Amino acid sequence: MTAQYIPLVVLLGVAGVLVVTFFLLSSILGKKNMTPTKAMPYESGMESHGAAGVRPSVKFYLTAILFVVFDVEAVFLYPWAIEYRSLGWAGLVMMLGFLVVLALGLLYVWKKGALEWE
Amino acid sequence: MSVWLALSPLLAMVATGLVAMLVDVLVRSPASDADTRGDLAIITTVGLFASAALALGLWGSGPSVALPESLGGVVAVDRFGLFFAATIGLGGGLSALIAGGYLAEHGIERGEYYPLIAFSCAGAALMAMATDLLVLFVGLETMSLAVYCLAGFRRGSRKSLEGALKYFLLGSFAAAFLLFGIALLYVLAASTRIAEISEALRGAAGSSPIAVLALVLLLTGLGFKISAVPFHMWTPDAYEGAPTPVTAFMSVVVKAAAFAALLRVLLVAFGGTALGASVGWPQIVAFFAVASMSVGNLVAIWQKNVKRMLAYSSIAHAGYVLVGVLAAWKGAPEGRAGVLFYLLSYTVMNIGAFACVAYFGRRDAEAVHTSDFAGVARQHPAAALALATFMVALTGMPPTAGFFAKLYVFRSAIDAGLWPLVVVAVLNSAVSAYYYLNLVVTMYMRSPEPGAPVAQPMRSGAIATAIVICALLVLHLGIWPSRLLSMALEAGW
Repeated sequence: MTAQYIPLVVLLGVAGVLVVTFFLLSSILGKKNMTPTKAMPYESGMESHGAAGVRPSVKFYLTAILFVVFDVEAVFLYPWAIEYRSLGWAGLVMMLGFLVVLALGLLYVWKKGALEWE
Repeated sequence: MSVWLALSPLLAMVATGLVAMLVDVLVRSPASDADTRGDLAIITTVGLFASAALALGLWGSGPSVALPESLGGVVAVDRFGLFFAATIGLGGGLSALIAGGYLAEHGIERGEYYPLIAFSCAGAALMAMATDLLVLFVGLETMSLAVYCLAGFRRGSRKSLEGALKYFLLGSFAAAFLLFGIALLYVLAASTRIAEISEALRGAAGSSPIAVLALVLLLTGLGFKISAVPFHMWTPDAYEGAPTPVTAFMSVVVKAAAFAALLRVLLVAFGGTALGASVGWPQIVAFFAVASMSVGNLVAIWQKNVKRMLAYSSIAHAGYVLVGVLAAWKGAPEGRAGVLFYLLSYTVMNIGAFACVAYFGRRDAEAVHTSDFAGVARQHPAAALALATFMVALTGMPPTAGFFAKLYVFRSAIDAGLWPLVVVAVLNSAVSAYYYLNLVVTMYMRSPEPGAPVAQPMRSGAIATAIVICALLVLHLGIWPSRLLSMALEAGW
C-alpha cells in the first residue's frame, strides 16, 4: 500500500532539488549591490520606525479573544438555524443553554471591565 | 433516564464554575475586605463535592447509563467514567478548599481561581467519559487551558510565570501531537469514535504503519499530561512555581483524567488488535514505566525543595500506575481496577501532602525546604502527624491507602507475568522511602538550626478541614479498602 505514495516522494524530491538549485544559482550568478535602503526591514513600503520588540497593550489581546468567543458562537448558530425545524424543541433548549452560558460570560467580562478601553 | 440526569456530574461542575464566576463579579466588591471571607471557596468545594456525589448516585443505575441517540455516542456515562468523575470532583473540591486558606494568606485571592478549577474539573471528567477522540480532545483542552492560567496565578512571581510558560508551550505542543494521532486514526477508520476505531484496527488497518505512528503520537500527547519520563521536563518547574493548591490539583486531577483517557485509548481502541499483540508498543509503555519510576525516585532524593521533591515523586507514581496500565492491557483481570484504586488513593494522599505543605506557610514565610520542617513536630504535633501519615502513605506502607494501591497494582502485574517490572517497582518503592521518610525524620528528630525560625502554620480552618478529610480517607482506604476496591472492580465500560 506504500507503493502508491512513491510519486509523492518523487514530487517532494524534485521540488526540493529545484528550490536548492535556484537559490544556489542566484546566489552564485546574481549581482550583489547592497544599499542601506535595501537592508531596511520591509514594511509594505513604509519607512520603519523604532525597534521591532514593541509590547502591544494587553487590551488588543482581550478584544481579539472576545471576538473569537462570539465568532465561534456565530459558527454554532448558523448550522442550528438551518436545521431549526428538524431539531425542534430539544434543539431550541440546547441552543438557549449555550447562549445563556455565553451571556453569563459576557456579563462577567463586562463587570470585570474588560470592555472598557481606557 | 433523562439526559440531564445522566450528565449531571458534568453539568454540576460547569454550573459550579458559572455560579462562582457570577458571585465573583456580582457579589464581591473589589474594594472591600470581602476577599477573606472564603465564600467562593465554599461554593466551589460544595459544588465539586456535590458533583462527585452525583457521580456516585448514578452508580446504582447499572453498569452504563443509556443515553439518547441524539448524543451520537460521543460520551458514555459508564461506571469507569463515573469513578473518575467522582475522583476528579473530590480532588477539585479539596484543591478549592486548600485555596480558600492559601490564596488569602498569600494575597493572591482573586476570584478567577475558583471558576477555573471548576471548569477544569468539568473538562477532566469529560475526558474520562468521552468515547469519541474529538470529544476527548475538547475535554483535554478545557482542562488544560484552565490549568495553564492557574499555574501562573501568582503573577508577581518570576518562578510562577516561568513554570506556567513552560507548561503552556510544552502542553500545547503535546496537544498537537495528540491531535495529529487522532487525525491519523481518522485516516484509518474514517471515524473518531473509539469503538469504530477499534473495529477498524482489528481489521487490515491494524497492521498499517500509520496505526503505529498514531499510537506513538497518542502516547506522546497523553504521556506529557501524566508527566511520564521522557515527557516530564516541565513537571518540577511548573509544580514548584504554581501556588501550592494548584500544584495539588495538577498532580492529581490532570493526571487522573489523562490516565482515564490513556486506559480507554489503549484498552478499547488498541486492545485486541494486531498492533496490541505485537511486541513493539507494550515494550514502549514498559520503558515509560521503568524510566518514570527510576528517574522520578532517584532525582527526588536530591531535592531540597519539598514541592520539587513531590513533583519528582509524582513522576515516579506515574510510573507505578503505568505498570498497572500495562498489566490491564496484558489482560490481568484486576489490572484496570488496580489503576483506578491507585489513582483514587494517590488523589487523597498527594492532596493531603500538598495541603500540609500549604499549611506550613505564613505569608512571605513559606516552608519550602526540607530543613524548614525541622522541629515542627514538637510545636505543631497534629499537623506534623498528618504530614507524616501522607509521607508514609506515599511510600506505600500499611496501614495507609498507599499500601493497598501498590499491592493491587503489583499483584495484577504479577498475574500478567510482568514480574521484572514489579521487581523494578518494588526496588523503587524502597528508594522512595529514603526521601519520604527523610521529611518525617526532619520533623520529628531534628531540631532547627539555632536562630532559624520554625515553620509557622497559618490559621486556616479550610486547609485544616482539607487535611482532616484527606487523612481520614487515606486511613479508611488503608484499613477498609474492600468497599472502594469492589467499586473499582465494577468500574467497567
